[in-house]
Amino acid sequence: MEEKKQKRDVLQGTLALMVLKTLDVLGAMHGYSIARRIEQISGDLLAVNQGTLYPVLLKLEQEGSITSGWGVSENNRKARFYRLTRQGRKQLQAEKHDWDQTAAIIDRFFAVRAEDLK
Amino acid sequence: MRRLRRFVKRLTSWARTEKDEERLRAEIEAHIALQAEDNLRAGLSPEESRRQAILKFGAVEAVKEEYRDERGLPSVEALLHDMRYASRRLRRCPAFTVTVVLTLALGIGATTSIFTLVYAVLLKSLAVADPAELYRLGKEARCCYWGGYSQENEFSLVSYDLYKHFRDHTQGFRELAAFQASTSLLGVRRSGSAEAAQGYPGEFVSGNYFTMFGISAYAGRLLTAGDDQAGAPPAAVMSYRLWQQRYESDPSVVGGVFNIDDKPFTVVGITPPRFFGDTLRTNPPDFFLPINTQPLLGAAADIYQSDNSWLDLIGRILPGANPASIEAQMRAELKQWLRSRWGDMSANDRAEFPEQTLFLRPGGAGITSMREEYEHWLQILMMVTSFVLLIVCANVANLMLVRGMERRREISLRIALGAQALRLVRQALAESILLSLAGGVAGLVIAFAGTRLILHFAFPPTSGMAAIPIDASSSMPVLLFAFGVSLIAGVTFGIAPAWMTTRIDPIEALRGASRSTVRTGALPRKTLVVCQAALSLVLLAASGLLTAALRHLENQDFGFAQDRRTIVRIDPSLVAYRPDQLTTLYGRIQNSLSSVLGVSDVAICQYSPLSRNNWGAGVWVDGRPAPGPKDDVSTSWDRVTAGYFTAVGTPIIEGRGISDLDTATSQHVAVINQAFARKFFQKEDPIEKYFGQTGMGTSRQYEIVGVAQDARYLDFDLDHPIGPFFFVPEAQHDVLPTGKDSNPGSHFLHDILIVTRPGASVSSGQIRQAMASVDPNLPIISIQTLREQVAGTFRQQRLIAQLTSFFGILSLVLACVGLYGVTAYNVGRRTNEIGVRMALGATATQAAALIIRGAFALVAIGLVVGLPLALAAVQFLGSQLYGLNPYDPAEIFVAVLTLGFSALVASLIPALRASLISPSEALRTE
Repeated sequence: MEEKKQKRDVLQGTLALMVLKTLDVLGAMHGYSIARRIEQISGDLLAVNQGTLYPVLLKLEQEGSITSGWGVSENNRKARFYRLTRQGRKQLQAEKHDWDQTAAIIDRFFAVRAEDLK
Repeated sequence: MRRLRRFVKRLTSWARTEKDEERLRAEIEAHIALQAEDNLRAGLSPEESRRQAILKFGAVEAVKEEYRDERGLPSVEALLHDMRYASRRLRRCPAFTVTVVLTLALGIGATTSIFTLVYAVLLKSLAVADPAELYRLGKEARCCYWGGYSQENEFSLVSYDLYKHFRDHTQGFRELAAFQASTSLLGVRRSGSAEAAQGYPGEFVSGNYFTMFGISAYAGRLLTAGDDQAGAPPAAVMSYRLWQQRYESDPSVVGGVFNIDDKPFTVVGITPPRFFGDTLRTNPPDFFLPINTQPLLGAAADIYQSDNSWLDLIGRILPGANPASIEAQMRAELKQWLRSRWGDMSANDRAEFPEQTLFLRPGGAGITSMREEYEHWLQILMMVTSFVLLIVCANVANLMLVRGMERRREISLRIALGAQALRLVRQALAESILLSLAGGVAGLVIAFAGTRLILHFAFPPTSGMAAIPIDASSSMPVLLFAFGVSLIAGVTFGIAPAWMTTRIDPIEALRGASRSTVRTGALPRKTLVVCQAALSLVLLAASGLLTAALRHLENQDFGFAQDRRTIVRIDPSLVAYRPDQLTTLYGRIQNSLSSVLGVSDVAICQYSPLSRNNWGAGVWVDGRPAPGPKDDVSTSWDRVTAGYFTAVGTPIIEGRGISDLDTATSQHVAVINQAFARKFFQKEDPIEKYFGQTGMGTSRQYEIVGVAQDARYLDFDLDHPIGPFFFVPEAQHDVLPTGKDSNPGSHFLHDILIVTRPGASVSSGQIRQAMASVDPNLPIISIQTLREQVAGTFRQQRLIAQLTSFFGILSLVLACVGLYGVTAYNVGRRTNEIGVRMALGATATQAAALIIRGAFALVAIGLVVGLPLALAAVQFLGSQLYGLNPYDPAEIFVAVLTLGFSALVASLIPALRASLISPSEALRTE
């Protein structure tokens, strides 16, 4: 139970970052095309359980990083479109910065060889 | 910030659940449709493309669940859900709900009503601005006068002169106000009205009194420093209570002239409604007068005597001022002031000088004499009511357990179907909390009625006077208390039944309920009954002891006769009699009342026995050295007219009583009581010895002419032996060598003692008529029999004993109901077993004995647990037992016997039912 929850939180965190980046690059999009985009880029992460995207979208909207509104899709379907807010953009930058930092640190750890530590 | 924003969103989204569900549904629909279209374009068949789309989306319900978790506040929602469910379930069994709510209301109501009193007496601040800034002089409240220049332990009362010294020299106070430590009864008559003067309590206060409290007038204005100056036009402030009740809020009262003790005062304003002065007392003042008007009223002008301490002090400190440094400063000022009085000080005062000190304490609650007086009583009552509440909780828990038993099948089925244990416990708890909250609301009603009843009996209102300013209706702290108690009670009685639900085995759902062999539930229920028995024993023992102590007090030998004696209370100072007119007045009163048919004797005294007041004096016996500071020479004294001892029924042991021979010009005499003789003369014969009051500088003031039997006059120290007392004639004045009367106030006698002939009765109408023929303006403050006056002394003790007995009986009834329930349930469960036993030859008596034995085993364990608890608890009663042994075996035995007998009665009906079980029928039900 505990492990499952932890996994979900990590997934949600990563997913949220992907959503923000996707919206940053491509502008307003509906849920399905966000899912498609992430699937294209990330491969397996969203291949099944695309539905998990929606709780993440809701959370981001509650936090004020994105807003949404009803619109019409390319093939004339009613769909809900999501757009990045100014705060969302700031959040994305902050998280990207954090991510780069973390990644750099981890990179350095992996690059270390035994003789470097002598 | 983001978290907060999200929380607010989640909180608000709760209200729009339906809309959000719809939105998610539409989004999912759109998503699947878009995916299906893509699949179709990729060449799948229509059915297959939709199927694939749904597969790819994942578990729709799981997503919805997760979405909901993100959206609202799931724990709160679940809680509301549980509450709704619980209330539905409770509505379906109204009998159970009503029983539980009423039982709880009794427990919570009792606790809350006592808490209302605790809050008002022990915790509440005065209704003034920023009470935290107020500091008062003195660690303990002291009443009401203190003579001389030294005070025991601490200087807590001050003279007017010392007040001015503090006021003018102390830095750190924004205002330092002084006010009379007691109240004075004032004779008040509206100028120009024809009616007789009425007695109302009044208080002398310094001009800055109201400024110090930071309150403003309800109408008109309050007193100012300008009013409190010699020669200023006499001004008075009236209480809102009197203005409203007596004068119907007549606006012309403000600015109107009132004769107070026959001197004209202008009422300049009305106090705010919730202000009752500086002290919570039974009769709060109705008039506030400037200290400097005191010389206008009455003969005793305390204001000019710097060795007469009669004022309390409260000051408002400047923001940021340090009370400790103000205290240090005032200590230095006290020493400085005392040194400036060195010439006036007696040898004893000088000897005590180094020890004189003072203390400054937080004064937001005012002068807390009532707190000191009633603290212990209230603690006892609080303890008693919490025990009652515990017993109530045990009872309700028992009912809940039975209910839980009935629901075993349902619950085991729910567990079998996958219900979470946590959720089941939460539902059970929701039910008990809902019940306890309902009980709390009903309890508030009971608390209100209960508090009013207690106040009415503890402090019976005097007609025309203000009642004790305690509000029985709920204030915020009381509401919070009741809410908290309800919650705690709900959890207390709910936790066991809730826990029981989780112990149910799902397999039971598959078996028939009647085949259940598990005995779950029996042990907790038995434990609860044992607890109830133990707690009841504690309450029964406490109430037995308190009742015995009361009986002990009431049936003591008071040393005076109570039958056929009536006390008429007057106060000649209210209509401005001068001391030299009084002897004539008393003679006329005696003549007039003696002529009333049925009256056999009339005497007048300053204070009749147990009339709640007395004057104290130090005694200097002639022929001995003047008493030093450490010598205990304290006595009480009374001024009486001739024939007093016969009238009050106190025998003269030796010598004679006060008689008509004792006139203003004859030798000054005194009659002492036996305790006085023992204390000051031991084995010597006191007759024809001389003594004086220490303040007067002579030991030959009075010649002792008689010894009276000890009689109880003081209404405190009731468990102590009667203390030394002396009586002096009204006709003789205590004249100092300087020619001044040292105790002029003592000639204003208060109590007329009327003795009626056996079999005759005298109505108060006859008494009033006879009094009016002497002086129609002389107000009669009260008329009551001496027996009522004596009973009044024990009013509070009686109330406590009655309340404790009431709660004791209540708890006994509840415990018996609990015992009955458990026993009856046992009989039901053991029907088969008993049937088998009887089939095998057991008699009906044996069957009944089996059941009674079971019940008594529980009570016996209850006794074993309860006895040490009771012994510990009665120790807490301590001084309230007035010397009665708290381990009085008789009282404890009675309590045990009462409990045992009640238990027998409670288990008799189930036992009877057991004895009537027919073996064939019992086996057939199997």
